[in-house]
Amino acid sequence: MKDKKGKGLLYAYISVASFVFFMLIWEIFCRLGFIEPIFLPAPSLIVLRAVKMVDQGTLFVHVLASTRRVMVGFMVSSLVAIPFGIFLGSSRKFKAVFDPLISLLRPLPSMSWIPISLLWLGITETQKYSIVFMGSFAPSLLYIIEATRGIDPILISAAQNLGASRWDVMREVILPGALPQIIAGLKVMLGIAWTCIISAELVAAEEGLGFLIMNAKEYFQTDTIFLGMLLISLTVIVIDVTFRMIEGKILPWTRD
Amino acid sequence: MDQRLTPAQEIEVQDVSKVFPTKEGDVVALKDLSFSLSEGVFLVIVGASGCGKSTLLNLIAGFTRPTSGKIFLRGEEVTGVTPQCGMIFQQYALFPWKTVQDNVEFGLKMKRIPKKERSEIAAEFIDLVGLRGFENSYPKALSGGMKQRVSIARALANDPEVMLLDEPFAALDAMTRQVLQEQLARIYEKHKKTIIFITHSIDEALLLSSRIIIMTARPGTIAQDLVNDLPYPRNASVQLSDHYTRLKKDIWNTVQAEVLKSMEVEAD
Repeated sequence: MKDKKGKGLLYAYISVASFVFFMLIWEIFCRLGFIEPIFLPAPSLIVLRAVKMVDQGTLFVHVLASTRRVMVGFMVSSLVAIPFGIFLGSSRKFKAVFDPLISLLRPLPSMSWIPISLLWLGITETQKYSIVFMGSFAPSLLYIIEATRGIDPILISAAQNLGASRWDVMREVILPGALPQIIAGLKVMLGIAWTCIISAELVAAEEGLGFLIMNAKEYFQTDTIFLGMLLISLTVIVIDVTFRMIEGKILPWTRD
Repeated sequence: MDQRLTPAQEIEVQDVSKVFPTKEGDVVALKDLSFSLSEGVFLVIVGASGCGKSTLLNLIAGFTRPTSGKIFLRGEEVTGVTPQCGMIFQQYALFPWKTVQDNVEFGLKMKRIPKKERSEIAAEFIDLVGLRGFENSYPKALSGGMKQRVSIARALANDPEVMLLDEPFAALDAMTRQVLQEQLARIYEKHKKTIIFITHSIDEALLLSSRIIIMTARPGTIAQDLVNDLPYPRNASVQLSDHYTRLKKDIWNTVQAEVLKSMEVEAD
C-alpha cells in the first residue's frame, strides 16, 4: 500500500520533470533564434501574453464564454438524451420508429450544422448552444441505448419478481444500472462538445476561445493563438477532473 | 365461490410442456409434467443438468409461459410474473447500486409501504439471515454466501406464498453451503413457507426436503416422486442412519439411470 503510494509519487515527479524539460528545450530553441517568434513563440512569451490579458480582464471572458456554451448545450443534450435513450433502449418497437432518423443524424459532424444554424438562428448564443446540442445529441443517445441494453436481464427479472411494474423497472433498475456506462459515455461526449464549440467559434463569434484563436491569427499574434490552445486544454482537463470527482458521489457503489 | 372445498393446493402443475424452437429444430424441455404441491411442503427437485428444472421454475414464477398445459397458484392460473412466488437465483441477482438494506426493502418499496415500516421489516430479515451490521454495505463488498443470504432476506421480506430457489448454493464453497443449508432449514421451520428448491446434489435434497421429485433426462418428466420422512433436525446422526443411506441409494439409482440416458442422447 505504502509502496504503491511511493511509486505513484515517483511517477508524478517524473512527469513534472519531463514537462519542465520540454518547456526548457522549447524556450532555448526559440531564444537561440532558430525560429521566428511569429511562427513559434517561446513559452515565456505565451506566459507574458497571459499575464497581460489577465490584467486587461479579457482572458476569463473568453474562457467563461466557451465554458458556458459547452455546459448549456451539453446539459440540454444530456437531459433529453438520457430519458429518451433509456426509453429507446428498453423498447424495440420505439427504437425501430426512430432508427432511420438517428442513423441519418449520427454521421453528420457538428461542423456541417454551422451554415444552417447561422441561417436559422444568426450569430447568437442560441446558435452556439444548438451546435453543441447537434454535435453531441445523436452519439450520446447511442451510448445511452447501448448502456441500457447492457443491463443484466436477471436484475430485471428479479425486480419484476419482487413486484416492480414496467415504470418501476425503468426507474429502479435500468436507470441506476446503466448509469456508470452513461456517465462514461457522457465524459467522452463532453470532449466532443468542446470540439463543437471551438469550431462554431472559429466560424462566427465575438468571444470565446475559438474566436480568440481565429482573431489572433488575423493580427499574427501567434502567442495569443498558443495561449488560446493551451486554455482549451486546461479547461477540458479541469472539467474532466471535476467530472471524475462528482462521479464518485453519484456512483458510490462503484467505489473501492 | 369457495376455492377451498378441496384441501388447499398451493401449486398445481397440469400437463405442462415447454418447447424451445432452435435452429436445429425444436427442443422439448418439459413434456406433460403434472404434480401438485400442498401448503408448507419443502419440495426439492433433483435432476441432471439440462433436464428442464430451471425451465420449470421459470414457468412457475411466470417469467415464461408453458407451450401447453397450465400452472395454478392457489387456484389461480399463473399468467405473468407474480410477486407471490419469491425467486432466489443462483447468481444472487442483487442490485449492485443498492445497499443491503435497500436491496431487502426493494419488494416493500414496490408495494409502496412507508419508509419507516419498510426499514423495520427489512431489519428483521437482515437479522434473521445474520447480516446485522452490514446494512449499509454494497453487494460488491460481500462474499458469495453473504450475497445469497441478502437475496434470501430480500425474498422473505416481500412475504411471498412460495419461495423458488434455483440451485441457490451451487456457486458456494462446501462449508459456506453447509451453513446456508442449515440456515434455510431453520427459516423453513420458523416460517413454514412452501418451498421449491432445485439442486443436483442428492445430499442437499435429503437434508432439506420434505418431498423429493427426481426428473428424467430431456424431455423432462417425473422419474420418481417420494416423501422424505427423515426426522428433524437432520444432524450428523440422521445422516449416518440406515434410513438415510437407503433413501440415498434409492435416489441415486434413479438419477444414475437418467444421467446415463442423457449422456447417450448427447453422444448421438
